[in-house]
Amino acid sequence: MSAFLVYLITMTGIYGIMSLSLSLQYGQTGLVNLGQVGFFMVGAYVSAIGSTILGWPIALAFVAGVLGGALFGVLMALPIGNLRQDYWAIVTIAAAELVRVIFLNTNLGSPYVGASYGITGIPSPLQGVLGGPYYGYYYLALVAACLLGCYLVVQWVSRSPFGRVLKAIRESDEVAQALGKNVRAARIWTMAIGGAIAGLGGALFSHFLGFIDPTYFMPLETFLVWAMVILGGAGNHLGALAGAIIIQLLYNGTRFIGFGEEYASLGASLRMVLIGVLIILVILYLPRGILPERRRRYGVRDAAGR
Amino acid sequence: MLLAVEDISMQFGGLRALDKVSFGMKSGQIFGLIGPNGSGKTTLANIISGFLKPSSGRVLFEGQEMQGKPPHVIAEAGLCRTFQITLNPRRMTVMENMLLGAARQTGENIVSAMLQSRQVAREEERNLERARDLLEMVGLQRHADELAGSLSGGQKKLLALVQVLMAEPKLILLDEPVAGVNPRLIEDIVAVILQLRRAGHNFFIIEHNMQVVRRLCDEICVLDMGNVLAQGAPDEVLAREDVLQAYIASGGVAGEGVQA
Amino acid sequence: MIQILIDSLIRAAELALLGVGLTMVYDVLRFPSFAHVEFGTVGAFIALTISLALPFGPGSSLVIAGIVAMVAVGFLGVATDRAVFSRLRGNSPILLLIASFGVGIVLRFGAQAIWGANAQSYPLPLMRPWLIGDGRLTPSAAAIIVVALVTMLLFHFVLNRTTLGIAMRATADNKDLAEASGIFTERVIRLVWFVGAALAALGGVMLGVATQLHTNMGFEIMLPVFAAVILGGIGNPYGAVLGALVVGFAENIGLAINWGSLASALGLATEDFLFIPVGYKAAIPFTLVIIMLLLRPTGLLGEKRA
Ligand SMILES: Nc1ncnc2c1ncn2[C@@H]1O[C@H](COP(=O)(O)OP(=O)(O)OP(=O)(O)O)[C@@H](O)[C@H]1O
Ligand SMILES: [Mg+2]
Repeated sequence: MSAFLVYLITMTGIYGIMSLSLSLQYGQTGLVNLGQVGFFMVGAYVSAIGSTILGWPIALAFVAGVLGGALFGVLMALPIGNLRQDYWAIVTIAAAELVRVIFLNTNLGSPYVGASYGITGIPSPLQGVLGGPYYGYYYLALVAACLLGCYLVVQWVSRSPFGRVLKAIRESDEVAQALGKNVRAARIWTMAIGGAIAGLGGALFSHFLGFIDPTYFMPLETFLVWAMVILGGAGNHLGALAGAIIIQLLYNGTRFIGFGEEYASLGASLRMVLIGVLIILVILYLPRGILPERRRRYGVRDAAGR
Repeated sequence: MLLAVEDISMQFGGLRALDKVSFGMKSGQIFGLIGPNGSGKTTLANIISGFLKPSSGRVLFEGQEMQGKPPHVIAEAGLCRTFQITLNPRRMTVMENMLLGAARQTGENIVSAMLQSRQVAREEERNLERARDLLEMVGLQRHADELAGSLSGGQKKLLALVQVLMAEPKLILLDEPVAGVNPRLIEDIVAVILQLRRAGHNFFIIEHNMQVVRRLCDEICVLDMGNVLAQGAPDEVLAREDVLQAYIASGGVAGEGVQA
Repeated sequence: MIQILIDSLIRAAELALLGVGLTMVYDVLRFPSFAHVEFGTVGAFIALTISLALPFGPGSSLVIAGIVAMVAVGFLGVATDRAVFSRLRGNSPILLLIASFGVGIVLRFGAQAIWGANAQSYPLPLMRPWLIGDGRLTPSAAAIIVVALVTMLLFHFVLNRTTLGIAMRATADNKDLAEASGIFTERVIRLVWFVGAALAALGGVMLGVATQLHTNMGFEIMLPVFAAVILGGIGNPYGAVLGALVVGFAENIGLAINWGSLASALGLATEDFLFIPVGYKAAIPFTLVIIMLLLRPTGLLGEKRA
């Protein structure tokens, strides 16, 4: 495999993790989080700061990134826990922008670290032991393992009675409340879990690239993740993964359709127009996505009463 | 008194939807709340169930002050409601809706769901059995694995009723349980409510269909323009001239319902 | 002091022009359109192209171009409604919201594909500013404020004298009744899109006059516009204007205030001078929205809604 292909699959895995996080928030719970990239950024920055400036072991930095994402989710959900989803959309997109503005304007310790300079020299895990020509494969394996773990977590959460409450909140928060469910608490928990998963994605991202700056975390990233979930099928976590693969293929595949150097920017714009049109078409003509949500069957009692 | 409403007022901007409403209902009853369109019935139901904070006044459930508490707390205390427009979670199956109804499930807290998986599995098993019994009672058992959104209007109302029963509430508040339901299913719904009442359930019912009110209710209260007009046995109250006038003045279809 | 007043008014003018249309669409179709501000971007660029092609002086060219752009974007608004939103009537507002997110991306990157990603300017002559006290008011800045004022007065007239206005106010009084009596005919909806998009285009031109044109200009002003709309109470055009003034002044005063004495009084800081760095300006509307949602989610002029 060429190094580029490994790179691409690794990035798809990281986006898959982001997509799973949103799948839990939107697909399962109906939360319109337009600030998904905020989680990603918090996870990436916390883990990067921990492992470079603070000199923590990488594992600890990862854990901090995950917890950072969860904490950010809770903070976002606290003021809007009881409000309608249109307010969620506005507040979450604003919160993610706020995080970017803060990191964009804040130096981290020394004058050329943080702010628009970003963070360099983010260490790769187990570089000492596994370093070498095959390191890319090891990192890919790490991402794949994390992706699988996240999938299992999201799937387990969704199938638990807690997940049933989340689904009810998606359908009608009023019914959920009338049946005695604490909707606000459940939403906050969802944002914590979704934030932790996306935070993990961010940590994987920063240690993969070794360098991050605020331009990696534009609101556009959020849109890509949404395209993945909508296309794949909201409410089906496997669909979210399928969506991640397709959007990644589309996004990177169109890079090679030759526009030449001078038209690179035109190509980039048209690529986004394409994805925008795709998401609109899916909403209009395939609203349940390519892998629609599946019903859980409990079976009907037979005549004998069992 | 199982439920008492004391001097409840509700102000929406310039509109006084409820004006010092007071009444009480005893345990072991089916209590009816009637009144012309816009008289404030749903507003009162929203206040009792915690979806609205009253401008003033108290709601006492089993002697406990409930006004202003969040809906889920009131539901946990045993006062559960349904909605005038049936809102069952549509993209959940009938069975999922039923399992959702059960109160105080261990697995609904994510931490205990993780730590007490055995307990969660036991509860699921128990709730599944109970849900099957209830669905059988209302004849929805064959639809258990269908999406609630695909049921007919009347079936949705039935589902809303048995879903609430899963929570084993002490008082069930139904907002227009037969509105928009075809006559045959109305019979079914009435029969189920009467059967449940014999089994010891308490109901607080808001309804426009006067025949249903007469057949179900032990006691009714009439609201008109946010005021209590009358309270008592259905036959006496519905014979009163001022009640008739209120309905006629409102000019609604329900006006004919009173004489019927 | 006067400079702050001038800057705030310019900002409020831009926000109001964009906010009034947004709040109308929000009210009638019941979803926050994330595409709305992009009509501003598209309008600004259309006006640029047209004004460059016109043979008159730069000032009058831009006036004509601006009017043509308003009409063109008005029709573009109606067209997006036909193509996307009208097909989703009766669906959950969340779906419409996400579709608008997609439409916004298509508009923004479509503009980028056509006009490029570089900043451009209207060919306005450099004019000497008037000095008012310690403030400097350029003729173009004065024009922005006047245009916004006149537009708002016209709009007030429309709201009170025309079918559109009567339908709009009927909703403000009693939404259910208005819906029941069929006031929201498709015609009114189309009118709302036309007027909203055209006003947004005007707002975009004003933004371009105040500074520069860039395909991100709409997106960058989106959150302050939403802040103004939420502050004013969703669906209330007068509220949106008031909200625009609040946000405009808050942004400029917030940066100008010396928070040092307050901070030291609270024991938070020891410096005597503590200004909010300009980079954090974006945080001000966001903070306003959060405070508003916590205190009074229905907005300053908002009514309670079921
Ligand atoms: N959230 C609200 N904001 C403003 N006014 C409201 C609100 N909810 C209800 N109202 C008004 O309060 C009055 C009482 O309404 P309510 O829905 O309680 O009547 P109802 O008795 O349930 O009528 P129906 O028999 O038609 O269901 C009406 O005039 C209604 O318009
Ligand atoms: Mg009602």
